[in-house]
Amino acid sequence: MAALRSSSAAARVLAASSRPALRLQGASIRGFAQLADGAQHSTTAAEQPAKMKTFQIYRWNPDTPTEKPKMESYTIDLNKTGPMVLDALIRIKNEIDPTLTFRRSCREGICGSCAMNINGTNTLACLCRIPTDDNADTKIYPLPHTYVVKDLVPDLTLFYKQYKSIKPYLQRDTPAPDGKEYRQTKADRKKLDGLYECILCACCSTSCPSYWWNSEEYLGPAILLQSYRWLIDSRDERKAERMDALNNSMSLYRCHTILNCTRTCPKGLNPGLAIANIKKEMAF
Amino acid sequence: MASIARSALLKQATTASRMSSFATKPVVNNALRAAAFHTTSRRDLLPPLPQRVDGTINDPAPVPPTSPSHGSYHWTMDRLVAASLIPLTITPFAAGSLNPTLDAVLCATILIHSHTGFQNIIVDYIPKKRTPRARKIFTWGLNAATVVVGLALYEFETTDVGLTEAVKRVWTA
Repeated sequence: MAALRSSSAAARVLAASSRPALRLQGASIRGFAQLADGAQHSTTAAEQPAKMKTFQIYRWNPDTPTEKPKMESYTIDLNKTGPMVLDALIRIKNEIDPTLTFRRSCREGICGSCAMNINGTNTLACLCRIPTDDNADTKIYPLPHTYVVKDLVPDLTLFYKQYKSIKPYLQRDTPAPDGKEYRQTKADRKKLDGLYECILCACCSTSCPSYWWNSEEYLGPAILLQSYRWLIDSRDERKAERMDALNNSMSLYRCHTILNCTRTCPKGLNPGLAIANIKKEMAF
Repeated sequence: MASIARSALLKQATTASRMSSFATKPVVNNALRAAAFHTTSRRDLLPPLPQRVDGTINDPAPVPPTSPSHGSYHWTMDRLVAASLIPLTITPFAAGSLNPTLDAVLCATILIHSHTGFQNIIVDYIPKKRTPRARKIFTWGLNAATVVVGLALYEFETTDVGLTEAVKRVWTA
């Protein structure tokens, strides 16, 4: 560990000595909000006028359940903050209010933890730029129509239970002919593109009015997209059973194709199309 | 004459004209009630219940039993009926002639189309789990309404000018 640290420090010194101009530039566009960086940036902040931005964030504390949820405002200088909303949230938690609670992990849109409702749109905080075109406050809520655990943390128990109910794994009886892996043609593999990328952040499901009204029975766009991912997998041998599980009035057919899911997906996927394809496959 | 409801309808019409003087008061009341509903922040229309997790958090959500008649068949029929309405609506006007059979088919298709449409609304907005009684009432209310509309369309087709001709007359009126 010590060796690692010293080597990385050496690399940093090397980079700094070889390209001093670049390092100065890099200081203003670094990605993470960190307490220690404040001192480094005092020079750049003094040069630029402060770009203050106010974030209104939904607060609710389970320790005081009788208190109503409220919006709390935090103002930070965007010059000292990374470009994404998650950077701002981390900065607020580090420097202003350590009690602010939210989920985050990878900060690059691959874990799906930081899904929240930012300015009225469900998205990942780490993929959402802080809007700088106007001075309006940015409003941040937890995912809509979810039970809130605390502040921006929604309870996704039902979402995961529903995911489990579609058996999201390869079901197969016949062994591979060569005893190695299950092979697939390039065309078959291509069918999974646009489906396997789903990170189950629940942005689409919680933007769907049908899921708001009937979340207990309707599976929602995210789970149905995953369902389709296993339905069209050429290696899976339980296609009929998977379809039978969806063939009732509630699980699949509460989708009325309003495409809120497709509009909101932070990964640019199309759950609406996947659901339409399931319906088409089951039609006759 | 194939009328089965005429005398009853006539009776209703006369009573309605007699009752009209009493009908003004409740209207005002209803408007006030509606205004109050829209201006207060309390909207106790099916408020969310406390969270309840069925089974443990590691159990999968229950999978409902397979029923294609409520699922895939129903959906396919919905699309077929909706799609067939387009040519059925255009044909009589495009052809310029009136065919009673075609008119009857159009009426039946409209009836089925509106029935399944309303059925979808009821299934969406009156959850069986939350409000089982209201669901039953609305479902049977819809069934009754469909029967009444079906009878009315039958009456209209057999004793009056029929749907297509009526639309034509209203259009040129």
